[in-house]
Amino acid sequence: MNRIKAPALSAAFFLFLTGILCYFSGRSFRTMHRSETVFPSVGLTDTHQLSDYFPPLKNTHGDTEVYIFRGMEKGGNLLVLGGTHPNEPAGLMTAVLLIENIRGKRGNVIIVPRANSSGFTHSDPQEGNPQRFEVPTPAGPRLFRLGSRLTNPVDQWPDPAIYINPAGQKLSGNEVRNLNRCYPGRANGFLTERIAFAIMELIRRERVDIGIDLHESAPEYPVINAIVFHENSSELAALALLELQAEGFDIRLEASPVNLRGLSHREWGDHAGIKAILLETPNASHGRLKGKPSSSLIVDGKDKFYAKASRLGWLFVPYGEEGIPLSLRVARHLAALKALLGGLAELEPEKAVEFEGMPLPSEVQKKGVGAFLHPPT
Amino acid sequence: MPEWLVFVFMVAVFVLLAMAAKVPIGLALALSALAGALFAGEGPSLRHLVEGAFGYFDTILIILTATIFIKVLEDAGILDTVTALLLRTFYRSRVLLLLAAMLILMFPGMVTGSSTAAILSSGPLIAPVMMKLGLPRLKTGALIVMGGILGMIAPPVNILIMIMGGGVDMPYVGVTLPLLVLVVPLAVIVPLVIGYRDLRVIGREEMMSILPPALGPAYRFRLAIPFIALVVLMLAPGVTAGRVPDIGIPAVFLCAALVGVFCGRPVNFLKATQKAVAESLPVLSILAGVGMFIQVMTMTGARGWIVMSILSLPSFLLYFGIAVSLPAFGGVSTFGSASILGIPFMLALINKNALLTSSALSAVASLGDLVPPAAISARFAAQVVGEPNFFRVLRHCLVPALLQLAAGIGMLLLAPFLDKLM
Amino acid sequence: MLRIFYHLIVLYLSFHLLWHLFRQKKPWSQAGAALVLTLFLLRLFLIK
Repeated sequence: MNRIKAPALSAAFFLFLTGILCYFSGRSFRTMHRSETVFPSVGLTDTHQLSDYFPPLKNTHGDTEVYIFRGMEKGGNLLVLGGTHPNEPAGLMTAVLLIENIRGKRGNVIIVPRANSSGFTHSDPQEGNPQRFEVPTPAGPRLFRLGSRLTNPVDQWPDPAIYINPAGQKLSGNEVRNLNRCYPGRANGFLTERIAFAIMELIRRERVDIGIDLHESAPEYPVINAIVFHENSSELAALALLELQAEGFDIRLEASPVNLRGLSHREWGDHAGIKAILLETPNASHGRLKGKPSSSLIVDGKDKFYAKASRLGWLFVPYGEEGIPLSLRVARHLAALKALLGGLAELEPEKAVEFEGMPLPSEVQKKGVGAFLHPPT
Repeated sequence: MPEWLVFVFMVAVFVLLAMAAKVPIGLALALSALAGALFAGEGPSLRHLVEGAFGYFDTILIILTATIFIKVLEDAGILDTVTALLLRTFYRSRVLLLLAAMLILMFPGMVTGSSTAAILSSGPLIAPVMMKLGLPRLKTGALIVMGGILGMIAPPVNILIMIMGGGVDMPYVGVTLPLLVLVVPLAVIVPLVIGYRDLRVIGREEMMSILPPALGPAYRFRLAIPFIALVVLMLAPGVTAGRVPDIGIPAVFLCAALVGVFCGRPVNFLKATQKAVAESLPVLSILAGVGMFIQVMTMTGARGWIVMSILSLPSFLLYFGIAVSLPAFGGVSTFGSASILGIPFMLALINKNALLTSSALSAVASLGDLVPPAAISARFAAQVVGEPNFFRVLRHCLVPALLQLAAGIGMLLLAPFLDKLM
Repeated sequence: MLRIFYHLIVLYLSFHLLWHLFRQKKPWSQAGAALVLTLFLLRLFLIK
């Protein structure tokens, strides 16, 4: 009798432990579905959902906010995409900073701060990242999520063994959840492909002239501190480069490789004919050499292993002990955006886009991102 | 707290639990991960532990469903029948048999990029044939492992290259030729090295006497259906350029298993599943434990410390570093090794032809499947041949693995020369 | 459609893992099953 009973008891005990593990970890995982609040400036003219451009996205975790700042004067249409990769926080933060500060003047500015909103709802396994990072503002810290490069498997599952993306490129299976491999998207495809399709729809419906996709890359990755441009934007990129260099930002130009398919800087240009640009800044928190991941690693960007790797010549960007803080990375994105718009106004004056209220990159670098954010509620 | 101290502590706890207290490996890894998190002052970090384990959720599903597939084939009598068929066809020639066996062993890995899928699906077909013809059990295990590993890196699908290519923006195009240059000689030499000496050539009568009890001719064509289903479901998405949807490896195995239920002797699918769960659970919990271990290593900065220590090696030791660290890190995860170390190595070798370096690095990294504590391929192959201690199988993999390592490093060294040839 | 199929797979395997957990006599084997079951339950309930 006892021989049967004891195992059943211990089994029940282990089942109880499973319950505890599920409850506590599950509760923590669920908090990632709580979206951070964005406080748009008074200049905001319209708010849409991405599903307004592609209704099948409605009521899915792929739907996301689209903020539009329309100017009084006629001009071009600019699309700024943050959060294509939710583990690249400077993209999200630059988009939020713009939304909370700018007023349209000429042309229209369309901002999607969390392009892959599903990716914000989970963290990458085995990366040991914090779920949120803290941006200090004068009125106290604001919390933002650090998500995953990929769509949440809860929203899109299973991955195929091999992924053949809409542009026909063969990729490893999990890239099916990487928004920046899924362009130009598929109307009936996987969720991430539908998000990409919706963004293409937005580009068409809003008659976007220039699209800027904000990213970050690991410091050991060759395409870094870079403007990646579609060949239709080479002149624009070159003009922007000159201005950025004049302002003291070290940046390089990378032409979008013709055989690397499914990325925004390739397919936006090929399929929608718009000027397509992708910006990269260095982010230690998603590199392979990072030390202990923390909110401070993201915001202050100090990492002793990256500093050492830099001394050993392993990196494609100088990485000193002082680190590369979020404020500098956001400032770089803002400076590049400003330079690109300056170039556009010069090359195609009728498509110029102007807005007011954008903090100066040098000020952001000096005072920090939080100085220009709405106080937390 | 210095990162290295956390790592040393975690390893010490693991060794203590696994060796001294005889705790199963998976649980010892999980507990040492928990201990590491506590030691580093992070608290129990339950979210991190579970998140780390999730890194292997898809692999766990593949292993479970593949094992169900095999159990169904076994219970339906299909495995025995296939063994008989192979014996009848190849009993006369050692070389042909070995080469055919190698090709069959490699095939599922070539198509799916997964050595586990290869070992679990074609291993049980080949193992009885080899053993009946005199190849010792452990060497049979070694043949199966090497087949799985070579299948994993052979074209058309090499996930290791896809992972490394993804990190350096290299599209998965043009690797077929370098991979063939690397894999074909190995696929010919390795089976001969392992099996030529022990395999016997036998007469027809002896062959007839060792044939396992096969199902009658009435079943003949039905028996092939589960394999056809498996191959078609694996190949169709690639062949039709995605018009036939890719349902993922777990569903492929499960569908083939369900088909198998109706193709031989009657099978109780529930019982087959129970057997599969019982058989694969030790490996599944190891994977979960490894995931937790890596997560805590990363979370405490110990992973960064390890990667940096390897990268700090002086440059003349670079190739040595590649030869040792890529397989060694593969002891926790081969795909993880390709991502965490493979990509920095690709970057270090960026002035050479990336197609050659990625092919060579994938050959080196794939050997991680042999390295403990995970040693996934070796464990499964040992399981397939019924050997409880996978280290005994590993011993016979040493020479073939060194050959493969030499081929990989050789290709790296000769890259400038090969580049001109291709 | 495929997602539903995969959820059914997870449900089916969770059931078997649970069954296995209660049929095991050794506590360590039970713990291993419980560990793996955690992952299946979290995916089954669409949490992770």
